[in-house]
Amino acid sequence: MEKRTLIIYTVITLIGFIFAVMSGYSQEDVTNVEDSAFEKKMRPAVPFLHDKHNETAGIDECNTCHHVYEDGKENEDDSSEEQECSECHTINKGDNSMALVKIYHLQCKGCHQKKKAGPIMCSECHPR
Amino acid sequence: MAEPAIKRSDESSKIVDEGIDKGIARLTPEKIEQVINKVLAAETGARLKTYVETCVHCGLCSEACHYYLSHDNDPKFSPAGKVKQTIWEILKRKGKVDPEFIRDASRIASTECNLCRRCAMYCPFGIDIAYLMSVVRRLCHMLGVTQLYIQDTAHSHSATLNQMWVKEDEWIDTLFWQEEEAQDEISSLRIPIEKEGSEIFYSVIAPEPKFRAQLIYQAAVIMNAAGVDFTMPATPGWDNSDQCMFTGDYEMMGRLKKVHFETAMRLKVKRIVMGECGHAFRSVYDVGNRWLAWKMPPIPVTHAVEFYYELLKQGKIKIAKKYDKPVTFQDPCNIIRGKGLHEKARYVVDALCEEFIEMHPNREHNYCCCAGGGVINTGPQYKMKRIKGNRIKAEQLFATKTRGAKVIIAPCHNCHGGIEDILHHYGLDMELHFLGDIIYKVMEKPV
Amino acid sequence: MHDIYNFVSGPLVWVSFVIFFGGSLYRLISMAVLARKKDVFVYEYMSLKFGLRSILHWIIPFGTVKWRKNPLFTIVTFTFHVCIIFIPIFLSAHIILWKESWDISWWYISDTTVDILAVVVIASCIFFLVRRIVLPEVKYLTSVSDYVILAIVAAPFITGFWTYHQWAGFRVMGIIHIIAGEIMLASIPFTRLIHMIFFPFTRGYMGSEFGAIRHAKDW
Repeated sequence: MEKRTLIIYTVITLIGFIFAVMSGYSQEDVTNVEDSAFEKKMRPAVPFLHDKHNETAGIDECNTCHHVYEDGKENEDDSSEEQECSECHTINKGDNSMALVKIYHLQCKGCHQKKKAGPIMCSECHPR
Repeated sequence: MAEPAIKRSDESSKIVDEGIDKGIARLTPEKIEQVINKVLAAETGARLKTYVETCVHCGLCSEACHYYLSHDNDPKFSPAGKVKQTIWEILKRKGKVDPEFIRDASRIASTECNLCRRCAMYCPFGIDIAYLMSVVRRLCHMLGVTQLYIQDTAHSHSATLNQMWVKEDEWIDTLFWQEEEAQDEISSLRIPIEKEGSEIFYSVIAPEPKFRAQLIYQAAVIMNAAGVDFTMPATPGWDNSDQCMFTGDYEMMGRLKKVHFETAMRLKVKRIVMGECGHAFRSVYDVGNRWLAWKMPPIPVTHAVEFYYELLKQGKIKIAKKYDKPVTFQDPCNIIRGKGLHEKARYVVDALCEEFIEMHPNREHNYCCCAGGGVINTGPQYKMKRIKGNRIKAEQLFATKTRGAKVIIAPCHNCHGGIEDILHHYGLDMELHFLGDIIYKVMEKPV
Repeated sequence: MHDIYNFVSGPLVWVSFVIFFGGSLYRLISMAVLARKKDVFVYEYMSLKFGLRSILHWIIPFGTVKWRKNPLFTIVTFTFHVCIIFIPIFLSAHIILWKESWDISWWYISDTTVDILAVVVIASCIFFLVRRIVLPEVKYLTSVSDYVILAIVAAPFITGFWTYHQWAGFRVMGIIHIIAGEIMLASIPFTRLIHMIFFPFTRGYMGSEFGAIRHAKDW
């Protein structure tokens, strides 16, 4: 095999591999629940399989979770999946980071408790 | 994990004590249960309950006790160990204990604890173990089980209002006798008897007229030299001692203190000054007055150590030549943990003596003499128990001796009794004196 | 699991807090009433100044002769007692639960620190256990209840540590942890753990007697 051919094959394989990886990411199935407002994390971020979760939970509408509230009322036609929670749920002066932790917990744990399904104890979500 | 069984001590069965043996013979389990529960219900309350329920069985009090230290850290002699063998059992069994249990309880509370209160400074909770032991003594007293010798002194207290069966005329005669003796030395000396309106009522314990009359002599010399306006009563009430406090005969204790205070009132004195006795001070200043519902004594009470301090501080007695032998000082529990006189005592010692060597531990933390708390009064059967139970004192004194001390000053009769036996048994060649002895030796005397 | 979790972290917490506060209050009041009836002079001799003086010396490490004489014990017991009070209150995982339920929160200790402190607490418990078994003067005083009390106190820390590290069966351990904490809290008023409540009074009274009447130190 000529040297050139080897290089071409190698490059093609690499590109193929990068595409494969990229395409995996582009589906954004596996991710962590992150928020840039958490400056210092107390616990590791919660791994979250978005599609699998919604499939299991039977959630179709984005705004079931990515809700939008206007003047204290939920706007059922709008959704906020492009935003981080902390953009609306701002931490007021005097609040500590517990305030933001609380809204995340209410969102996940609160629903899980309501539905009696899904994890509710600390270590069930936050890995070591 | 089973609780170690409480082993009956062979020791208590070896000692023949008619007060105990006859008392035990009269007991039945029914009577014991009835008396114990009656006394506990009538006389104990929040303190007993709280102390027992707060104790976490940590054993930290152990090293406070001279008995424990002297018996090679035998846990049976630790303060909480003694509570375990007595109060805990009594409460756990709701008073259903047999006569032999009472025999042991009496031995533990009356001959293996001096009520010196050192353990209160080693228990983080400040549990008053001396109080708990007093409760046991009270129970034994109510059951009629008390060591013969100390019960005899209690009988004397109730019959004569003094501890040593001293009759009224003997008392007065002793005062006259000591006055005459002292007049050979100081011709103008007086021991004013029944002098109403004096500044001071000088009260002593009955062993002074009985065995140590020279102490009255010395006190008279000090009083006269200092120009103190004092008097001594001719009536019962002159004795400030109180063995009833130690046997648990509190009714009698109350009567004794009442007579003592009333004698002071009758003589219209400004205050009572007491001789160098620790237990009497405890009775007059701390325990007896409470039984009579006086928060503090109804008339000021001054212990000899404090009185000497005043006399020296005010220059009322002058020192001719300081005592030249190196001395050490025994802090008696009842006037140190009982009145905080340790610094004043050191002032007095420094004023009298050229060289003072501290024993260690000292002040509030000094080891007990093992004679106080009525233990020496339980009689000669228990003498070796006292001596063996205070090997640590011998070691402490020996260490002080190697640092140069030749003389021990102990301003307490019980400390004297205890230390005398220890010096003799352990062959410690040291002298033992009262502060009054030293003052008498070194003071300027009028002629 | 949801039902069990919700039960132990809901009603049972209430129960344990009610027992703890109610029981402690009951014990305090009944002690005060009994003292008023039977040991009335305690009120006469109790002195705020001298009581606090004594308490202060005893709650400062090495503040008393006794503490200085047993340095190892002093270090262990102070660390232990400070930890068992502070860890549950200032643990972030506990505070977030307060935040979720009551919307209240306060300063917390970092989890890494707590992790180390939990080991310290467990080690202290082992120290106390060994002491009980090995030292004759402690062994002599020891009854079964002393081991039970030690276990009651050690359990929440061992189970908490286990759960935090997500070792085998950590879900069940988490539930046990919550129950263990509740048992500990609820048993304080009715076991010798009551020393937590009574300490200021027993020490304060001895300090008052020694300070105000006897003019002496009791430390």
